[in-house]
Amino acid sequence: MAGAPVISILSAKKASNMTEASQAAQQWSDCLEAVARRQDVPAFEQLFNHFAPLIKAFALSSGLNRSGDHLPDELVQEVMLAVWRKAATFDRRKAAASTWIFTIARNQRIDMLRRLRKHQNDLPADDIWELEADSDLFGEVRQSRVQDQVRDRLSDLPVDQRQVMAKVFMEDKSHQEVAEEMDLPLGTVKSRVRLAMKKLKLSLEAFDL
Amino acid sequence: MTQWHPHPDQLVEFAAGSCRAGVSIAISVHLHYCTQCRQMLSELESTSAVLFEQQAPAPVANTAFASLMERIEREPAPSSAPAAKPQAPSRFPRALATLMPDSLEQLDWNQPMKNLRVTRLLDDGDLIIGLHHMKAGGRVPNHQHRGEEISVVLEGGFSDQLGSYAEGDFIRRSGKDTHSPQADAHEDCLILSVVEAPVKLTGPLGWILNPFLKA
Repeated sequence: MAGAPVISILSAKKASNMTEASQAAQQWSDCLEAVARRQDVPAFEQLFNHFAPLIKAFALSSGLNRSGDHLPDELVQEVMLAVWRKAATFDRRKAAASTWIFTIARNQRIDMLRRLRKHQNDLPADDIWELEADSDLFGEVRQSRVQDQVRDRLSDLPVDQRQVMAKVFMEDKSHQEVAEEMDLPLGTVKSRVRLAMKKLKLSLEAFDL
Repeated sequence: MTQWHPHPDQLVEFAAGSCRAGVSIAISVHLHYCTQCRQMLSELESTSAVLFEQQAPAPVANTAFASLMERIEREPAPSSAPAAKPQAPSRFPRALATLMPDSLEQLDWNQPMKNLRVTRLLDDGDLIIGLHHMKAGGRVPNHQHRGEEISVVLEGGFSDQLGSYAEGDFIRRSGKDTHSPQADAHEDCLILSVVEAPVKLTGPLGWILNPFLKA
């Protein structure tokens, strides 16, 4: 009996975190729409204040600064410029604002890293990682549910899985590179990612893992 | 509905943007045909976005927003985006549209055998992207691949000792596999081939069957 109140407090806290996160997600979608509809500078500034430091962290995590101190700030400028210019293509029914901004940041970082590696024949990342929302998939309800679910369950993952997830998803490192860096067998890295996927209850699960 | 998919590990690396150039092009082409993988990618991107938002923020200079706004006012948006050239819808997925013309006849083909012609769309030393075009019902003699090759069926279908493949299927072949593919009887088969390490063929027919290998 003694445990029961604790559990309900915990889940209430979780629920309120989820609501906060969902509200924040709504707020960023509203801002993007304001930018698209009326070039709303204050709304854009809110987006900038929230996302610019995240884009910079994302740049630093891939070691972009090792190729030039100015590059992380350059990535911030390029991504936020693209957010301003492409805002009209954002569709809140098809993607969460943070997912949409993440995909722009990922693509711009790919292009920047490839330019630095002097690959000549690479196609622009936007041709390969398409930014347009996929109309064949699900709508807003499902999108925000996936994000809430991931946010909620991510915090329950064991540290070793979270750590590998953060490296694999944020740091521009293949499973192999993460394994080498952490001095772990490749199979361990892969299975941590898959276990995490399972706990996040993504449909990846449905695949034959 | 495609039956052969990229490995989930490959989709994870694709979502994160860390996979090699050739793999990313092959996956992008597969996604064009495969709703199931698109859904999975969308979930992986949502996951990435949550991890992205949970990073420790790295402070940017106080002047950063002002200088971005200056730049926005200074540089007009590139006019190319909306009306510049109304593009005819390509018959191929977007990742290929920039690499190839709509008509296959505009490409420079080699025809090493009656049933098969091949061409390269891109070759930068580390990465070769090509097309194999097999005549309806045509068979290519038994051969082995050395290194990794990814094939994605663009049109038609074919089968070999390991399975049968239709539009959009994503097929990985490693050095150990030997096969002799045969195109479906009723239509020609067009296959995208991505090789990140040169494929070498064994046996007397090697020179014929290894159109991607440099002389």
